[in-house]
Parts: sequence; structure tokens; C-alpha cells
Amino acid sequence: MLVRALGQRVLLAVPVLLSVVTAIFLVVRVLPGDPAQAALGDYASREAVEALRGRLGLDAPLPIQYLHFLGDLLHGDLGTSMISGTPVRDQIAYNLPFTLQLTLLALLIGVLLGLPLGVGMAVRHGRALDAIGRILSLLGVCVPAFYLGILLMLLFGVQLRWLPAIGGGSPDDPRAMASALILPALTLGLVMMASVARLSRAAMLSALGHDAVRTARAKGLPERVVIVVHVLRPALLPTVSLLGVWAVALIGDSVTTEVVFARPGLGKLLVGAMLQRDYTSLQSVMVVYTLFVVGINLLTDLAYVWIDPRVRVGGP
Amino acid sequence: MPGHVIRTLPALACLLLAACLPATTSVAPAAPEESTAAGSATNSAATRSGGILRVGQNAADLGSLDPHYASGTQDRALVDMVFNGLLRYTPGDATRFEPDLATTLPVATTSAGTQTWSFTLRQGVLCHPSDGVPAYELTSEDVVYSLQKAANKDTSAYASDYAGMTFANPDPYTVTVTLDRPLSPALFYPRVANYSGGYILCKRAAEKLGLDGLKTHPVGTGPFMFASNSPKEKVELVANPAYFRGRPQLDRVEYEYVADLNSRELGLQSGQLDVIAGVQDDKWVDQLASTSNVKVDVFGVGEVSTIYFNTTKPPFDKLAVRQAVASALNRDEFLALYGPKVAHKVLSPVPAAFMAGGLSEAELRSRGLDYPFDPNKARDLLRQAGLPDGFAFSVVTSEMPAYRVIYESMQAQLARVGIKMDLKVVDHATMHDQIRKDVNPVVVYVAFRPTADAYLTQFFHSDAIVLTGKNPNTNFAHYDKIDEPIDAARTNPDPAAQATLWQAAQTQALADMVAYPIQYTNQVYARRSSVEYGHPLQSVIQLYPGIDETTHITP
Repeated sequence: MLVRALGQRVLLAVPVLLSVVTAIFLVVRVLPGDPAQAALGDYASREAVEALRGRLGLDAPLPIQYLHFLGDLLHGDLGTSMISGTPVRDQIAYNLPFTLQLTLLALLIGVLLGLPLGVGMAVRHGRALDAIGRILSLLGVCVPAFYLGILLMLLFGVQLRWLPAIGGGSPDDPRAMASALILPALTLGLVMMASVARLSRAAMLSALGHDAVRTARAKGLPERVVIVVHVLRPALLPTVSLLGVWAVALIGDSVTTEVVFARPGLGKLLVGAMLQRDYTSLQSVMVVYTLFVVGINLLTDLAYVWIDPRVRVGGP
Repeated sequence: MPGHVIRTLPALACLLLAACLPATTSVAPAAPEESTAAGSATNSAATRSGGILRVGQNAADLGSLDPHYASGTQDRALVDMVFNGLLRYTPGDATRFEPDLATTLPVATTSAGTQTWSFTLRQGVLCHPSDGVPAYELTSEDVVYSLQKAANKDTSAYASDYAGMTFANPDPYTVTVTLDRPLSPALFYPRVANYSGGYILCKRAAEKLGLDGLKTHPVGTGPFMFASNSPKEKVELVANPAYFRGRPQLDRVEYEYVADLNSRELGLQSGQLDVIAGVQDDKWVDQLASTSNVKVDVFGVGEVSTIYFNTTKPPFDKLAVRQAVASALNRDEFLALYGPKVAHKVLSPVPAAFMAGGLSEAELRSRGLDYPFDPNKARDLLRQAGLPDGFAFSVVTSEMPAYRVIYESMQAQLARVGIKMDLKVVDHATMHDQIRKDVNPVVVYVAFRPTADAYLTQFFHSDAIVLTGKNPNTNFAHYDKIDEPIDAARTNPDPAAQATLWQAAQTQALADMVAYPIQYTNQVYARRSSVEYGHPLQSVIQLYPGIDETTHITP
């Protein structure tokens, strides 16, 4: 069943990927600005700019450029940066681990803090913990990640100097990398915590009203057993099923967070490529993002099948 | 939900996190040999207490570190730390020259209409070791190779500066430059100094790396050597232990690309950055200067903001209209956008504060060409031009504040005399593309050029008229009335006579009101108080504070 589901989802992902890749190619081309001018700067003569356009293949018709792009992509060739001439594959290989660390740790923080908070709020429904938790989670949902990031940088980086305010640390120094990861991951994690807490609270409150819970209490089961066995388990299902959606949202938020924290990563690569009109880097990084989103959705679909046997391929 | 799912999730997350740790060998793309070469220098310097200087630059990434293509400040700064010229601008003072790779400032000899400049090279200057090319002594062969590269339009963005020059190396320590048409020292020295095409490359390394390799792997003779490049993150330089002026006091320079201003400020305040590019605004200067352990430097050279009128497009083809616009504009209002520390009034296209050939406010006032703010006169001139109710026009502007705020202020000021200016904001590269296609009837341009000749040739000579000139460049005014004094000044070897010709050219251009100079804006950088650049900061032509072998961090 799992293999069949996987095959079907992979087949469905192919046209999605092709459409998105085509859209990316076109969107990048309609962006205002000339990569050759951006590469050579304000002082370059028109002649020099035209010569560079020719060398970069930008004077070729759009369909030809598209076919080259698609052909290279199918061969796994992400091209070289139009500005620096370095292979985009190398740039992505260097930056990808930074983004993965950030999003996964943020996901972990969001779930590990958000879930207990949501459960606590539901169990203490209408009391002080619930009120404080609701205010905190509302703040978390309302405050943009970049703003929260700046506040954390000011507090822990500038005032207390406990953690680095900017940068990602060197791959040769795991301790520096770990300390540089904490603030950005906390920024994204706290924002996510708010969503997780709100959702798990609502799911818990809904589960608390089920007949099974009333029956369990009537049987005289201890309240802790009632909560863990009859409330928490069913309430966790929507939370877990939304992990994929949150992971995708975190990847999006990681772009601004990486820029604010001047931290290496795909987001900083993407923004830099945009500023420099580096078509090759820009479209390749966007393709990698697309692969992530499609991959996460695929995993989420499969997780449904694994977690809940009622979900069947082609089912209602 | 099955219990095993709940139990598995944390373990799965930990596994994924662990898998994301970059391998310790996963370093920024760089050739292994280059890292080794640089690395050995770092190790040998490990016992010194020079420290690391971390610079936060306002850029997303490098553009090109081939010195003959480098044009953005983020590239010029790095190139300046890695390369030398035959001559150099005195550190911190762009108005004076001194020998660099050459032993003395040369004196020209002229024979049969050709001019020859002879340079004697320092001996024992070593090229940095690089990928597969060990350190070797720089000789005249390298210098001639480099100058020929700078003069070739296929290998340099500054080839036109070297038109009519031939280069020779009669012996390993002598280089001669022969010119078809003589140049004064004021015009010749910048071409062989540490700026643009004047930077000297090491031939063997350059040939081995090729043009593409040079973009990201500069190899020169300067105080710092290239160590590594992490795209969109940083470039690392290490001290050149064999630098001919002595080993740099710093061990390393980490040049980080931090495009976000808040991040740069927080990086400086948290001690993670030592020097940051600032904002050309007095408010920012005052705010940062009030931070403990932070100093702010405001220094030249200033980039000049000038308004150019397209004299072929109605109604700007009428002198009275151009003069009306000039009279309607108030320089003090533009200056107030930046503040008196950062911006200074400039009334001639060549800024007198930084180079010979400019005209002071008093000189222009005495000639009646200072165009003081006078809205009533502006209205009278519009009436004379048959436009008593004003007129409307539209322009594109860059989203960059340096351009946008000037256009916006101009829009508000012109509206007071009935001139309606519509603004379309586009990205910076598009604005450059559009103005070179003659889209704007009025162009604001912010630029620094190293000589009066460069300003006048590029913005006022008929050869440089956009689209239609012989060598289209930035003559947005389509002006062709001062070619003669510009050409005459270029070949006049007498500095005083040359300056007089430049001033005469500008007097004519201002009388015709084809350009309205507004101000020059200085460079703003902040640093931790412990950082000393090693020289007073008056003006730096590369538009950064100038980091060299004397720069140090005090304990």
C-alpha cells in the first residue's frame, strides 16, 4: 500500500515540478533589471554591458534559453553564477545545511514548546495558565519573525552578549555553529510555537468533550490517564498532520530570518541573487525550494497513510 | 494515533538534525592549493597578536575581484587590499600620489610628439602564492602584461583610459609607457595608480586562473592575500607576511556581506563586526556616534549629485526653461536631506574640494553662474519661454535612496513654480539601462570620477552623448559645446593652464545650464573604538576607509 501510494504521489509531483520550474524561469526573466549591468556596475560602458550579455547567453531568444535551462536541469546541472562564475551547485551545497539546521531546530522548538503549552492551556481551561498562554500565543502569531529576531538579537546579542547576534559560524567549528543557530532557531521556533499551542489547545478542548472521556472518568480512571490516553492521542493527530504545512511555512520564514541574522543559507543566497539579478543562481535556488516543498508534501501524504490506516489512495 | 508514531517522532527529528550538520570538510568553494598557501600564512602569523578585522559591507555578494572589472565599492575595497599600482594615492588622502611598486614618481620626456614615462620597479616584491603558482618576484613582465590587459576592451572595463598607450619592459625592473598624445601628471598618474585599470596583476597567476578565475580569486602583491570566498557570505583575506612595506599588523580581514543595515549595526554593537558601512545621513551618524565604544568616520571622496537636462527634448531645449528649473531649485533643501556633516554644496560639475579644475562658490558667484534659489525669477523665465502655467514631464528613478530622495525633493520644489514631475520608481539597474536609452528628459546622476577630465569627458564631451555619441557614455545633456577646451586640457602638460581650460569649459556649460550640480555626499563608516586605520581619513578614492599594513586593533 505504501509503495503504491509513493508511486502515485511521485508521478503526480512530476507535472507540478515542471509547471513550477517553467513559472520560475519566466518570472525570473520578467524581473526588471539587467544582470550584465548589475555585474559590471554603474561605471561600465554600454559596449561592455552588451559584450557581457552575449557571453552570458542573454541575447538568445527566450525559448532557446528555456530549453538550455531545462536540459541542464535534467542533467543535474544547476549552472554557474552569472555574477561570480562559481558553480551554483557548490553555493547550494554550502548553504543548504545552514537552512536545514535552522528549519529543523525551529520545528523542534515549536513542537516541544507549543505542544505542552497547548495541552496545559486546555487542561487548565479558563484559568490563569490558559489566559497567559492565549496572550503569548496571540503575540507569537501577530509578531513578524524578523521583528522578534531583532528583539532577541538586541537582548541576547547586544545587551547580555550571551549569543552571537549575527552570522552562522564556521563549519569547522561546531560549537560556534551551534551558538549561532540558537537565536534564529528560537525566533522561528517561538513563532511556530504559537501556532502549535493554539491548534493543540483547540484539539484538546474538542477531545475533552468526547463521550469516551466522560465514560473514562465515570469508570474512575485517574485524570492523568484520561488526559494522556483518551485526550492527548486523538488531539495529537491534527498537530502531527500539520507538521508538513508548518515545515513549508518555516522554510519561507527562514528567508527573512537568514537575512536579518546575516546567516548563510538558501534564503540569503536567494535574496542576494535577486539583488544582483543573478538569473542562474536565482532560478536554481528557487528550484531547490520547490523540490523541498514538493518533497515535504509528499512525505506528509505518506505520513497520513502511515499514521491513519483509514486514509487510502483513491479513497474518499 | 499509534503509539510508535509518537515515540518515533523525536528520534526522527534528532536524526534529521544530525544529518544536517555540514561535514567538517565542507568549506566554501576554493581551490585546495590556494587554501593551503593562505593557510600557511595564517599559521605563521598565529603567534602574533594582530587579530582579525571583521568588516560588514552593504552588499549581497562580490561582483568581480578582477581589478580591471571591479567597480562597486564592495569590490574596490577588496581589490585595494590585495593589489598595488605602480603609484598609489597617499593612504587617506586622494589628492596626493606617492610611489607604490615604482621607486619614484616618474617625470615624462617628450620626443617627436610622443610622450614617455619611465618607471623603475622596486626589487624583491613578491606575488602572492596561489593555486599551483608559488610566490615569485614581480618584474616588468608582470607590469606590462597587466597594463596591456587593462588597455584591452576584451579583458578590461577601463580600456578607454589607456587608448593610445604602448607598454614596454626594456629590463626586468624598468617599464616604459609611451603615449601618442601627451598627458599631464594629473591625468597620467591616476591611470597607473591603485585604482581601476592601474592595479597590477601577477601574470603567471592571472594566466593560470583565466578571466573567470580572477573574478573570485585575486592574486596580487598587496598587504593581504586572498584566502577563501563563501558566496553571499564573506571573503577572507590573510596577512601577506612578505609584503614589501612590512608584514601587516592585522592577521586577517573577514569581509562580510551584510546587506541589512540593522544587522550591521547589531553586529557592530555586539562586537561581532569591527567596521561597518553606514548611512549617508547626519541622524544616523549622530545616533551611532553616541553608542559606547563606537566611532563614526565621515570622509571623502564625495560622490557628486548633478542634474542633467536633455537639451534636445522640449521644453528643455530652451535655455530659459533650464535656467527656470535651476532657479526653482534650492540646494539647501537638498542638503537638508542628508545634513551638514555628510553633504556639502557643490556648484561646478567638477568638485573643487577633491581635485584641480573645479570652481568655488565665490568664483561662480562672481561670474553670475551660481544660480541661487529664486522662485520668482523661475516664474519669470517660464513666462519668457512661453510656459507661464508651467509644464509636466516624467522620469524614472532608481529605488536607491541616493537617487530617489533627490528626485522626490526636486519634484516637490518644482511643483511650487508650476512644473509637474511624475516619478516612476524602478530598480537601480533598470534606471541605468533606461537613462542610457535616453528615456529621461532630466537625469540625476550620482558619481565620483578621479579627475576633472573624466568628469568632463564622460558627461559633457560630444563623443559621450548617450545613444548617438562616438563612444556613448553618460552625456545625458546631448551637449557638444565644450569639446575643444576638454581636448585641449587633456593634452596640456602645464597643470595651471590645464585647470584654467577645465574651468573655462565648465563656465560655458553652466552658462548654457546643461547641468545643475547639487552636492557631494561623503562616505560614512562606523568602527569599534579599538580599530585604528593607520592614517588620517580625509579622502579615499576607493570609497572605503582604506585598510592596509598599518591598520590595527588596539587591545
